Amino acid sequence: MTEQEKLDILKNILLRDEREYAEEISRKIKVLEETINKQNQLSLKVDPIIDQKLEEFVKEMPKTLGPTITEALKAEIENSKDAVVEALFPIIGKMIKRYVQHEMQILSEKINSQVSNTFSFKSLRRKAKAKKTGVSEGELIIQEQIKPVVEQLMVINKGSGIIISEYTRTKNIDEDMVAGMLTAIKSFAEDAFEKEDIELQYIEYESYHVHLQNFSSYYIAVVISGSYNVIFKGELEDKLLNFAQNVINKEDLNDTSKLNEKLKLYFENENI
Amino acid sequence: MKISKKVVLIGHFGVGKSSLIRRFVENTFSDDYKVTIGVHIFKKSVAIPEEGKDVSLVIWDLEGNDDIRDTRTSYLLGTSAYIYVFDVTRPATYNTIGSDIEYLKQHSDKTPIRIVGNKEDLLTKEQIKDLNGEIEPLIDFFTSAKTGNKVDELFSKLAMELI
Repeated sequence: MTEQEKLDILKNILLRDEREYAEEISRKIKVLEETINKQNQLSLKVDPIIDQKLEEFVKEMPKTLGPTITEALKAEIENSKDAVVEALFPIIGKMIKRYVQHEMQILSEKINSQVSNTFSFKSLRRKAKAKKTGVSEGELIIQEQIKPVVEQLMVINKGSGIIISEYTRTKNIDEDMVAGMLTAIKSFAEDAFEKEDIELQYIEYESYHVHLQNFSSYYIAVVISGSYNVIFKGELEDKLLNFAQNVINKEDLNDTSKLNEKLKLYFENENI
Repeated sequence: MKISKKVVLIGHFGVGKSSLIRRFVENTFSDDYKVTIGVHIFKKSVAIPEEGKDVSLVIWDLEGNDDIRDTRTSYLLGTSAYIYVFDVTRPATYNTIGSDIEYLKQHSDKTPIRIVGNKEDLLTKEQIKDLNGEIEPLIDFFTSAKTGNKVDELFSKLAMELI
């Protein structure tokens, strides 16, 4: 055995652990290289981490960025109102146009079906009414489609604005507040004209019409939805006058529950 | 049976009529002064346990006037009770109190009137005592819309009297 061979054997014995360690590292690097260089394998390792981080980000985003984004949007809209209107106008305009077209189509179909039914009793009655009132038959047909509906009726003390009695189909307003408001508006308008015997008779509020009929110590406010027209006004006035003359008496004005009952009986099945 | 009563708050500009009502109705107070134009109407139901009844107070907050005679008389019609409010720190708001109360009585002799000195939190107890002796007729309540002192008591007692 030569000196060199003896040295190699000795090296082999002394450096075996290090060599094995180096081989292990080399193998691991190879696996790592394969993982990094092959997309599918990298994806398997990295995707769950990204998904988890994304999930956390989505959860946290409203808390951390929400107020900043809201403020920024508010400021942007405030600073460029014209641009916002400019951008939204065509969209909203189209929506409204489509809605109106749809409603007009429905109305038109209804009118056509009524006109085609020319010889019905209802049609003949309408013709007679048109002749009598001077309102065209077409207008009468349209009125039939958007019939006025009495939504609420309030008997209100003329001075105090306190409700004496009320009848409502849908409870969606605070009648005490409305009665007070109507009385204040009435007082203001009547004072403003500085003429005696002038009384406010009508107020329009969004899609509601408020008909006011005055009596000696109280007035009746009628909230109407739908079409409020001369014919309906006349009929409503007659009905209210009849109610005031023939149904209400002095005692009723001091007995809310009794008057409530009378109002309900008189107007529940109203078909003015 | 539902009981509703109209209560009118009247007095000079900036005495705290609206603040008193807001304290009573909403239990809120703001230092920002917003002048009332025309009339503002509020409502609050007050329970009277002794009678087992609820009284609905429809409260009319009238705009302040330097001269009470400038108030639209139509706003005063059918009033169940008046609350005359003055500012304890501004003599101009209570110098005419005697004639103002007379004017209200001329309108409706039997309608109760409560006289209220508001902003009592801005004076000491001694100053309040001196003021009470100085003003004729007698003050019914010294209130503070800011702290809420005596506000509920004022309206609750009034509601009880109105039944």
